Amino acid sequence: MEERQYDLIFICRPDTPETEVDKIVSTLETAAGERGGKVEKVEKWGTRKLAYRVRKQREGYYVYLLLHSTQGEMIKELERRLKVADPVIKYLTVRLDEEMKRQRKLTERRDRRAARRRRKATPATSTEATATGAAAS
Amino acid sequence: MADETRSQGPSEGRPAAAGRGGPGGPRRGKRQYFRKKKVCRFCADRVDFIDYKKADMLQGFIQERGKILPRRMTGTCSRHQRWLMVAIKRARNIAMLPFATEF
Repeated sequence: MEERQYDLIFICRPDTPETEVDKIVSTLETAAGERGGKVEKVEKWGTRKLAYRVRKQREGYYVYLLLHSTQGEMIKELERRLKVADPVIKYLTVRLDEEMKRQRKLTERRDRRAARRRRKATPATSTEATATGAAAS
Repeated sequence: MADETRSQGPSEGRPAAAGRGGPGGPRRGKRQYFRKKKVCRFCADRVDFIDYKKADMLQGFIQERGKILPRRMTGTCSRHQRWLMVAIKRARNIAMLPFATEF
């Protein structure tokens, strides 16, 4: 199976000590490692206001992970762990590789088009080129 | 039937009725006010991916009550509105944006 990219965000209770959060992150990392995945990035966004109440909390400690995985099972396991972890009040996993693929495609296509336009504009030094240049600026 | 009445309208001296010609109206009537054409903000910035994690950016596309603003208000193109919708819904799921404001 090809490699997939995921975003994983989880929210802890605001009164959770930092060490506890680190512990959760490390268990997730080992769990991911065991199942052929990898945690690429860990970002702690810190305590933020929640847009609505979650488990009677108005604030939450956000942690963001960027994952690479080759097995869907891995996500299942990580979500199970987050579900049983006491300080975690909410989590969300989003699969992103397809959107990234789309984004790359669009960006590439635009770059190609821009290059073609530039090529077309440069050899013609007549009024046409100046007109297009004026339109672009 | 409807066409007949509309074509008769101006001849009978009712310019107001002629001006109200649905979406094609502004071109016909002369007394139309002109609104600046809204351009899709994402197209202008050449955005290929709308990140659901940028909550403060998405905040500009929801109403005070938490509803998603329609395209006719923001001028977003249909493709970007679709991406925006997905991003806002994701952000709602992780409590970065409200489903509906409380109180």
